[in-house]
Amino acid sequence: MIAGQTRELERFADRIRLRAVKMVAPHGFGYLGQALSSAELFAALFSGPYRRDRDKLVCSPGHYIISAYAAAPDLGILSETDLSTYGQDGSSFEAVGTERSPVVDLTCGSLGQGLSGAVGFALSAQLRENLDSRVFALISDGELEEGQVWEAAMFAAHRKMGNLIVLLDANDSQVDGPVSSITTIEPIAAKWESFGWAAFEVDGHDADAVNHALELAVGESRPSVVIARTSTVHGLSCLPEGADGHFIKISPELVDAAIAELEARLA
Amino acid sequence: MLNAPPYPTVLKPYGRALVDLALEREEILCLSGDLTRQTEVDLFQDEIPSRFINAGMAEANMMSMAGALARCGHIPFVHTFGVFATRRPFDQIVNSVAYPNLPVRIVGFMPGISSPGGPSHQAIEDVAIMRSLPNMTVIDVADAVEIRQAVRAIVDLPGPVYLRLKRGEIPVIFGDDHEFSLSRAQVLHDGDDVALVASGMMLSSSLAAAATLEAAGVSTSIVNVPVIKPIDAATIIRAASGAKAVVTAENHTIVGGLGSAVAEVLAEAGLGRRLRRVGLRDTFAEGAQSAAWLFRKYGLGTQDIIDSAWEALGRTGPAPQAPVLVTPLGEYSPV
Repeated sequence: MIAGQTRELERFADRIRLRAVKMVAPHGFGYLGQALSSAELFAALFSGPYRRDRDKLVCSPGHYIISAYAAAPDLGILSETDLSTYGQDGSSFEAVGTERSPVVDLTCGSLGQGLSGAVGFALSAQLRENLDSRVFALISDGELEEGQVWEAAMFAAHRKMGNLIVLLDANDSQVDGPVSSITTIEPIAAKWESFGWAAFEVDGHDADAVNHALELAVGESRPSVVIARTSTVHGLSCLPEGADGHFIKISPELVDAAIAELEARLA
Repeated sequence: MLNAPPYPTVLKPYGRALVDLALEREEILCLSGDLTRQTEVDLFQDEIPSRFINAGMAEANMMSMAGALARCGHIPFVHTFGVFATRRPFDQIVNSVAYPNLPVRIVGFMPGISSPGGPSHQAIEDVAIMRSLPNMTVIDVADAVEIRQAVRAIVDLPGPVYLRLKRGEIPVIFGDDHEFSLSRAQVLHDGDDVALVASGMMLSSSLAAAATLEAAGVSTSIVNVPVIKPIDAATIIRAASGAKAVVTAENHTIVGGLGSAVAEVLAEAGLGRRLRRVGLRDTFAEGAQSAAWLFRKYGLGTQDIIDSAWEALGRTGPAPQAPVLVTPLGEYSPV
């Protein structure tokens, strides 16, 4: 990838971060950490292999919908005005994704169900011999604790779903703390490989690396997973040490600092 | 027209009906959770293998996958035992099927205590939990004629359906002139002392109970309610209005199923009628080699319906006794 393209991906990721800060700002708290950790994943996906007219997009953890929304203006789907109603009373842009959530084809607040939905989409494409449709599913590392994910992973490999690509945000964050302090889900790549998947492990904040892994994943004849090692505070140096990444609290002063930091980088 | 017990039986009326319909309708898919022959869809697997999907013993994945398939325009019929079709993947049904209001048809076999396989295999609360879900239609049919008609009736419903089916030999109770309706319950017999309201396997038992009650001078109406949700309140109110007492009969716990649904209808209509609910009395069912023994042990037999009607009407003296039927091999007698 040439340097200019890498820079564009980085700027896209920072636009996601900036919009996410503005979306949670009126609430004083929210799923900002998820946007910070998955920003490069969405930037690379939306700039590269995802074709909105023929592919399917699943956002398995419903609270990650903030990232999809924050990325959507770059696809010309949502406006900044739409995003300003995020999570407010009466808004259809609920903070935890619902059936009304735009941008994605499927999301669910009850975790661990999205991969099965993606497998259903991929199965439909198989049954209709539609070889030109890809299914992308964002899932989180905490979701790997749910057994249903592995039911779906086994079934996808059995049916040789080469059109199915998982973007796994391994941010080591769940409600009660670091995933690694609660359940040992490692070795993640070896688990997926042993289930018959192609696994590509990358630094999830290296936009170029994420993009390259996605390109490899799309070319696979097996279902594939891009395991992005990420952090829920990445890209915002103003966040305090020890911020709760799952549900970040952000004061008006911190909002101002965050916006200033991101706008300076985007200037 | 109604046949008389013991009833002739047929095998795989559901499996046959689904294949016949699927040959006309490309959108239909058949999903099985490792219980293909037991849910009669070995016929589908043999005749339309390209649209048969064995999801394996992974009901959560099967249910969420079915929801996504429905989003793509398919009409998935999902098959396993009733317990594994409802109890196990309940959250998946809620979020992947019922909330998005998708045309997934969940077909659960082996209702209530028709299985001697113990509490793990007995779907005793499936109607209650499916009935509680917005968008869900809940159906518990009585015989092979209703099964064949129900399969066609539900295929184009816009939302999800839970279809509860007896496993194995299926009695033929109704004549070919029977008309299954998604919106109307059927009054099979008029009477002005007691109204028996039944669904599924308990319909034949209610018919047998009615015959004994009528012979003892109790004028008995019989209401067949195959569609428990949305329930046909008008027909139930009409039958109950014309009687002094109401007895419901369900192969299910009395908490949340047909009996509860009828109680809600009567109470909301302000209709004061003594109500007795025949069904499992808030208990799991253990210890059996045969289903018939379980129905007797837990008070779900024909005699229990008679006794409930007799007591609700305040009749004195011993209740009339249901005759013991000799059932030739391959035929079916009410429990």
